[in-house]
This record gives sequence, structure tokens and C-alpha cells, in this order.
Amino acid sequence: MIYTKKSPALLIIGVLMLVWGYLNASGGVDGMQSWLQKGAYSDHMKVKEKFDAELRVATEMAAAESKPVPAMKMAASNFDKVKGEQAQLSYIVGGLFAALGLLILVWTPKEGNLDYYLGVVPGTAFIVGIAFAVRWVLDPVFANWGKGVKDAGILSWDFAHIFNLNYVVLGIVIGIVIVNVFSIPGWAANGVRTARFFLKTGVILLGVLYSAAELAQLGGLSVIMIGIFVLGSVGMVLFMGRRMNAGNSMTGILSAGVGVCGVSAAVAAAPVVQAKAVEIAYTIGTILVWGVGCMFLFPTVGHMLGMGPVQFGAWAGTGILNSAQVAGAALAFDPNGIETLKVAEIFNITRVLFLPIIVVWLAAWYVKHEEGAQKVDLKQVLVAKFPVFVLGFLGMFALSSMGVFAPAGHYQGKYFSTEQIKEDHWLKGKETRAIEGELKRLQEPEGAKALKDHFVAKAINIGQRHATPDDAYKAMQNLIDSKKMMSREQDAILNAVAKMSGVDAVAKGAVEKASKAAWHNSKLIGAFRNWIAWLFAIGLTGLGMQITAKALKQAGGKPLIIGGIVGTVKAVGSLIVVLLFVKEFV
Amino acid sequence: MSEQQFERGTSLSIFAADRREDMGALIAALLIALGVLLVIGK
Repeated sequence: MIYTKKSPALLIIGVLMLVWGYLNASGGVDGMQSWLQKGAYSDHMKVKEKFDAELRVATEMAAAESKPVPAMKMAASNFDKVKGEQAQLSYIVGGLFAALGLLILVWTPKEGNLDYYLGVVPGTAFIVGIAFAVRWVLDPVFANWGKGVKDAGILSWDFAHIFNLNYVVLGIVIGIVIVNVFSIPGWAANGVRTARFFLKTGVILLGVLYSAAELAQLGGLSVIMIGIFVLGSVGMVLFMGRRMNAGNSMTGILSAGVGVCGVSAAVAAAPVVQAKAVEIAYTIGTILVWGVGCMFLFPTVGHMLGMGPVQFGAWAGTGILNSAQVAGAALAFDPNGIETLKVAEIFNITRVLFLPIIVVWLAAWYVKHEEGAQKVDLKQVLVAKFPVFVLGFLGMFALSSMGVFAPAGHYQGKYFSTEQIKEDHWLKGKETRAIEGELKRLQEPEGAKALKDHFVAKAINIGQRHATPDDAYKAMQNLIDSKKMMSREQDAILNAVAKMSGVDAVAKGAVEKASKAAWHNSKLIGAFRNWIAWLFAIGLTGLGMQITAKALKQAGGKPLIIGGIVGTVKAVGSLIVVLLFVKEFV
Repeated sequence: MSEQQFERGTSLSIFAADRREDMGALIAALLIALGVLLVIGK
């Protein structure tokens, strides 16, 4: 059988990518990019402003000394980096596709390996091209749109953020629209089936972002609570799914989505239980709809029950499934405080870290139920059928836990380091004087009382005790003496102090500057995240193209019922546990 | 070339068997990880 279809499509896609790369490299789409990449563009304007000022001074000095103006080059801004990355990727991928597109046009295919794999490339290029459009255009368009609607006061919340309208969901939606409205072109049909391969590669790489050291740093209570509720809800979905005949793959993926961390868990578990594209779509839909409801309900219930920041953070982090919605609920409960958000995120991260355990559990569960383990030797079946890519994921997790990829503490993408603070980021005289002024003011009886009340109200803790004004005084004196942040604890306390009402604006700015200078981006983790995002964007776009309206009708409403029941049990159960056992510390 | 050798697997994959797809993904992931480590460094 011959798989390669003669078509100019691959060549056209490759050339379009090369054109996009050229337009980015030459500045031909700067106007559009400045709107799409608003954050990066604002950074660009700051860098340019600074450069223009330096150039002006250098020109004036050179003129005064009758010397030629020294050659100066503007530092690369985030905007330049974004455009550079788009140009580079477009050149590499577009060049490859264009070359293979030419080969398809001139070569007469014969049955064999070349035909087998070349036949896949046009369809792969099709989903890669759409993934480029989703990540580079649609994702920022929705992000700007959501923010714009919020800023204009039409909605009090960012709908794009809350409904998770990022490249993950948009990739699937675009895929669904293409297959149902236009249908997949014949030349692309074979390549669309590479979607699962991309997802599996992404899942294996996901293991790099987990570290046993991170898990060990989390509070004992969060690990116990999340452990009980994650494992409990996964078990409950598996039980209900079997009872309601929802199908093994549907049940498996829904259990990961409802139990662990929403969309990314569903994506990671999908190949483990050989879930169909439509089952992934149903799971993601159930999680997002459920999460949005929780996000509005949780803060209201929290206020009605008079919950404290730690209690609410623990509840939201356990009961709500999606990371963005956890943050949304925490901020809705306490818009000016960081403690609720911090606690909610600790629980959220703990839940995400349970993913490796759930992946192994689901792999074993699925193999057992698909093969009917009562009749055969489970060990033998596992050896024959256990998905190898899960071992790859666990292998990456083990390697990252051993520090092969990055030192412990870097896995969140940002890390604290005093040593790496550049000298020009140290605090200046005016800034340290402003902090000295605040230190004196807060040491007065009135200031000390306000500080103490603020720490209690916002539940600012150091380990297993409340932070005291003395902790703040020491941290402030230390910052004045060293002109930079010396520890994470100092950073946390001073950030809490800076959020007090009535704090001098210069002192507040100085603390924020010192904090920002102490936190660094991990380039390595950033690069891994970027790769994973691309693999998921490509895979999910391809998966979306396998979801037809007919398949959606066939799937029925069982996932929504199971997800709703288990989600409610988890939310109510975690509320009871939080009210009974969580008081002030996590 | 036999028909079986170049037969696609399920409609979800381009590979004839899941294990082959897993191994392909594993190799791709290892190459990416190695590439990132070499290009960016630790």
C-alpha cells in the first residue's frame, strides 16, 4: 500500500512558515506582535527608553569632549526574544517541511519505510501549523480579550483565564471545528494520527518537572489531606464508572481529571488508558464547567462560614480541580491578601505531585480490567501490556529527583538566590533610608500594634508559629545592612509588611525591587516547559480533529454525572475536614 | 515488502503497535532532554 499522496500542501505550509519567520525577523509584523505580546512589548518599551536615555547622555558627553559617539547596542528585550523564537522555529520547521514538500512533489513513492513515514509528514505539518497559530495568535488574542473585558468593567473577572481558554483548550476546540465544519483534507489524514505520539512524548518529559525534594518540602497536613482526597476521588470515579458502565478508558481518564489536577492530568492519563479523543474532550469539559461553578461558590461559602485564610486556602486547593480556578477562588475570597493564595497553591502543587502515583495506578487498573485479570496472571499481563511511556515518565521523575536536570528548588521555574543578585539591583541609599523610616515608625507602639494585627489577620506564619513584629524588624534591619534579600523567609515577611496599608511608597517599592532581584528564572526548566507546551499543543490539536459531532452524541452524559457527584463529595468532604482539623498552620 | 510490515495500527496511531509508539516517544523525549541539557546547560 502507498501512503504518500502527491500534493503541494506540505510545500505550501513550509513556505508559509518561512514567510512568518522572515516577517518576524525583519520586523514586518511588529505592529501586530506589539498588540499580541502586550507584556513583552511593554518590557521592550522600558528597555528602549533606558537605552535612549543612555545614548543621549553618551552623545552629549561625546559632543562636550569633541569625541565621536561610542557605538552602543540596545539590550534584547522580552519582545525581541519572543519574535526571535518565533522566527527561529518557523525557519527550522518551515525549512524542513518545504524541503520534504518538494521531495513529495518530485519523487514517485514506492512501498517501503520512506513512503510509510513520508506519508505522515503533510498531516503532521497541518497540525503543527495550526498549533503555531493557536500558541502565537489565538492564545494571546483570548488573553488580551479576557483582560480587556475585565479592565473595561464589563465583567469583574477575566473569562479567558477562568475558562482556561489557553492553547490547551483552544487547540482541541480548533481541531473539533476543523473536523466538523471543514473535514480533514485527504493529504492530512495519516499525519493527524501522530497526535498521540506527541502527547506521549510530552507526558514523558512532564516527569522532568517533578521532584521528590519538592514533595518533601510541602507541609505534612497538605500531603495527608490531598493524599486522602485525591486517592479517594480517583477510587470513587473508578468504582462509579464501572457500576455505570461508562467504559474503562472514559472512567480512567475521568478519575485522573477529577482526582488530580484537571486538564493536565487528563491529558497525561489519556494514553495510559487509551482514551479516545472524545473522552478527553468530555473530561476537560466536565472539569472546567465544574471548576467555574466552584470558583464562584467557594468564596461565598467561605465567607458565610467565617473561614480564615489558611482554612479557605486548604479547602480551595483540595476541592477545586483546576490550577487557574484555585487561584481565582483564593483571590476572590481575599483579593488583597497573599496568604490564602499561598496556602491554596501549596495544596494545589501537592495535588499535582500525586500525578505519578495516579498514572501508575491507572495503568495497572486499566490493564487488569481490559484483560480480565481474574482469568490471567496479572503480573504477566502487566509485563506484556503496561505502557512503556509511563516508565519513561517515572524514569524522568527519578532523574529529576536525583538533580540530573536542575537543583532542587528550581522546579517551579523560579528559584531564590542571594548570590546571583547583580550589584546594580542592590538597594540604593534613598531606598534603604525609606526602609529605615518605616522600621522606626513600625517600632513605635502604634506601628507595632498595626503590624501585629496585620500578621494575625493575614495569617503570616514562619514554620509552625505566627510571624511577630520582631521578625519583621530583624528582616528590615537585615535588608538595610545587606541591601539585598538574604533568605526566602525574609522575603516572605517583608512582602507581607509591604502589603500593609499606610506603608511608605518608596519603602514598598524598595521591598518589591529587592524581592524581584532575588528570584531568578530557571532557563532549563523554562525550556522544558516550552517543549512540553509545544508537544501538548500539537497533540491536542490533532486529538481535536478526531472528535466528531457523532462521537460526542455517542459518549452521552455519564461523565458529567460521575464528575459532578464525585466533585461534590470531594468539596463537601474537604470542607468538613478543613473545618475540623485545619486551624492556623499548614 | 509485506503488507503486514507497513500496516498502520489503530485509527489513533501511525504505529503498528502501542509498544512501538511508546518506544518512539521514549526515544524522542530522551533526545529532547539531552538536547535541552546540552544547549542550555545545567
